[in-house]
Amino acid sequence: MSGIYIHIPFCIRKCKYCDFVSYADNPLVADYLYSLLKEIRLSKENIDKIDKNEYDTVFIGGGTPSVMPLKGIESIMNELSKFFNISNNAEISIECNPGTVDLSKLQEYKLSGINRLSLGLQSADDEILKRIGRIHTYAQYVESLDNARKAGFDNINTDIMHGLPRQTKTIYLDTIDKVCKLGVEHISSYSLILEENTLLYNEVMAGKEMLPDEDETYDMQDDGIKKLAEYGYIRYEVSNYSKHGRECRHNINYWENGEYLGLGLNSHSAMKLDEWTRWNNTSNLKNYIECLNKGKLPRENIEKISKNDEMFETVMVGFRMVNGIDISAFKKRYGISFEEVYESEIKELIGKHWLEINDERAKLTQKGMDMMNSALMCFIK
Amino acid sequence: MAHSQDLIRNFCIIAHIDHGKSTLADRMMELTDTVQLRDMEDQLLDTMDIERERGITIKATAVRMFYKHKDGNTYMFNLIDTPGHVDFTYEVSRALAACEGAVLVVDATQGIEAQTLANVYLALENGLEIMPVINKVDLPSARPDHVIKEIEDEIGLPAENAPQISAKTGLNVEQVLEQIVELIPAPKGDDDAPLKALIFDSIYDNYKGALSYVRIMEGTVKEGMRIRSMATGNEFDVTEVGVFTPSLKPTDALHAGEVGYIAASIKSVAETKVGDTITDANNPAKEPLEGYKQANPMVFCGIYPADGAHYDDLRDALDKLVLNDASLSYEPETSIALGFGFRCGFLGLLHMEIIQERLEREFDLDLVTTAPSVIYRVMTTSGEELMIDNPSNLPPVTEIDYMEEPMVTANIITPTDYIGTIMELCQDKRGIFKDMNYLDENRAKLIYELPLNEIIYDFFDSLKSRSRGYASFDYELKEYLKSDLVKLDFLLNGDMCDALSTIVHKDKAYSKGRAVAEKLREVIPRQQFEIPIQAAIGGKIIARETVKAVRKDVLAKCYGGDITRKKKLLEKQKEGKKRMRQIGTVELPSEAFMSVLRIN
Repeated sequence: MSGIYIHIPFCIRKCKYCDFVSYADNPLVADYLYSLLKEIRLSKENIDKIDKNEYDTVFIGGGTPSVMPLKGIESIMNELSKFFNISNNAEISIECNPGTVDLSKLQEYKLSGINRLSLGLQSADDEILKRIGRIHTYAQYVESLDNARKAGFDNINTDIMHGLPRQTKTIYLDTIDKVCKLGVEHISSYSLILEENTLLYNEVMAGKEMLPDEDETYDMQDDGIKKLAEYGYIRYEVSNYSKHGRECRHNINYWENGEYLGLGLNSHSAMKLDEWTRWNNTSNLKNYIECLNKGKLPRENIEKISKNDEMFETVMVGFRMVNGIDISAFKKRYGISFEEVYESEIKELIGKHWLEINDERAKLTQKGMDMMNSALMCFIK
Repeated sequence: MAHSQDLIRNFCIIAHIDHGKSTLADRMMELTDTVQLRDMEDQLLDTMDIERERGITIKATAVRMFYKHKDGNTYMFNLIDTPGHVDFTYEVSRALAACEGAVLVVDATQGIEAQTLANVYLALENGLEIMPVINKVDLPSARPDHVIKEIEDEIGLPAENAPQISAKTGLNVEQVLEQIVELIPAPKGDDDAPLKALIFDSIYDNYKGALSYVRIMEGTVKEGMRIRSMATGNEFDVTEVGVFTPSLKPTDALHAGEVGYIAASIKSVAETKVGDTITDANNPAKEPLEGYKQANPMVFCGIYPADGAHYDDLRDALDKLVLNDASLSYEPETSIALGFGFRCGFLGLLHMEIIQERLEREFDLDLVTTAPSVIYRVMTTSGEELMIDNPSNLPPVTEIDYMEEPMVTANIITPTDYIGTIMELCQDKRGIFKDMNYLDENRAKLIYELPLNEIIYDFFDSLKSRSRGYASFDYELKEYLKSDLVKLDFLLNGDMCDALSTIVHKDKAYSKGRAVAEKLREVIPRQQFEIPIQAAIGGKIIARETVKAVRKDVLAKCYGGDITRKKKLLEKQKEGKKRMRQIGTVELPSEAFMSVLRIN
């Protein structure tokens, strides 16, 4: 499997908890689109090897891709299919925020080949939405979802969060109830991570905002998992739930440590060139545009990954999935079995009842999932 | 050729933090063309990063300038920059002894602050001529007239002719230079008398060895001379003499009245101590200069590498620091909790903080430090006398006949408004009131006898906050007194952690035990089981807290394809784990050891 990620670093307004590279209300949207199209073309021309793949997934994320004016996304999709080999049954997703899409944009997306939508809701509580700096209300989400269905989307994710300012378990479970009843195919529920250099961080540090404590947040998550299961959403990764067969293929590729090509500002890539290699694009918008104007790819930190590190990465991302790691695929990829490489680590984790292993898969137990960081630290050599 | 003594002026600058001492020094160097503008860096004299950042001077430095006065003569100015903290009072007094005058800089918006007074009095004790200067007159809130009156009322110095300057813009700085010539006396010393050179600081140079910064009081010193330290009797051959431009510049000789440095292949600054007198070994002076004291460490703490593997690096770093700091002492010790490290001795708490910071910054070390301690005198039941600077070495209670702790006499000068709250503070610190007198209608001097172990934690900070920064404080070590002391221990999941033990007065043991246990609960991360924290005196538990078991430990956030970031987070977490100290079954972060310290 391999995927393409495309980053659109613009938002109407930056959410208070966000530390991703994104710009609110930036006049450079047009220049950016122009540069991005150029990057698509250059990527193909410069590194032939990249084109050996047939791409099974495309993900347009942000920022908020849906702030792109009408026809912007369509031209990206056109350019992409002109230069890259996208498979016929590829999963092609785009992230949208309520308040930035109307029916005509959604129809444009559908017509340009996009077949999966990810709507950022975060909470169905308008008071909380305001507190975290979201630009929309719950009603606007419902409207966007309604329009998406009208435009013909039948594979829709909704992002929600727990551990938000002044969120209680009741409020969180109510959001789950509402979203599940609307029948979306996929739900991601992330717990808020308070990152430094965000507005929310400053507010919390200054005592102006209150977050639920650790235990309350864990309770939300635990009860959320149960409630989601009651509605038929199966947890297949730490923070991801879906109806049967509706797992996000693009993300699963990440978690299987597959190849992906990142395009756009600050996007990341991983490819098997001579060796397993990772790089990222510059995170500076001006540099990105200038670099491409000069006909150069804006890549940085090109890093060859040793086999040891590559194996660790496979474990690190693989254990995020409830199904864990495919051990026959591991042996095929590295020429050595998982049990052989990590003999003592496996023993230790099985002893703690954190790991289960059979002929096909090695996966963390419920307890092991909860203690994932500690579990993974054993595997760092 | 010797510069005529009549044309030499040796002085220092006394100022409260932020009143503009370093800026004024910079302007003076510019006006005298001592440094070229292109070489200017703010606060030229403060060479250590810590000095620049904290705005304090730790080491004394000096600079020579040449100034052409309107009388047609060219004067040699030697500016000696002095440290300004109670820990270094002795060093300040020696630097002052090397001068004939002091420029007192007062901020026209703030007025005199109490910290300045202690140094002014020290300068007056050393017979210096004090020359007031009013700074920052360019600011809208400047009140120069008010400040002039304050100087006259509070210090009793005439100030009507004090230059009103802005060191920042350079306004009237020329007047300061003129007045230095006119008001500060020239040195008087006999060039042909036997050599008497006062060491006011010493630094270690990688190529030249320990350099003595000296003021020549009598006689002449030149290359090739055999010199003798009058305190130790050690003799050395002078390899170089020179002056500060402010960088070191060799000269033929240093004559009576001049300021400069002497290099003599001296191995460490411990052999050229501040306050010592250097003389000519072949024609020695009869008496050394007055005022030499051996500076003894008063505060001790354990310093350990956060990662035990860096023990050798820590040892090398201390070996290097001590070359430059004769008042730092250290010897190896071990702790069950922390492994191999050093018990280090300091002049005071600021000195301790500075050394820790230098170890971390200049040598890139991660450290764990234990709570500071003083030296206790312990009489055992078998009649033995022990000096204990580490609580872990205290014998069992049954073997202790009695214990004594060091006392100090503290002089506190404060505006009268704060007398009440400061007396409260002293009482709280087990102080014994000795005396109080009014210096004038606004200020009073309080004299207390206090246990040293009560002032090494946060006394200075509390004093400052209670007096809004106005009270100043100085102390002198007195005798040891019998005291009801106990060892306070902490147990984590039932295991004693030796590095957390402290010696405290019995009356304070309960409150301290509770406060530290609470603090530990906050700083110890949750682990996979519940951890009881207990405070104990002898076998008796006096406080208990619990760290709940961890429930989840997982990165919930999706960082897109940025796997490198995720990997780094894990590696950092693992690194942090490696740096945790294992006490029995419990993992303890470095901050835990400092929590004993930071209790109010």
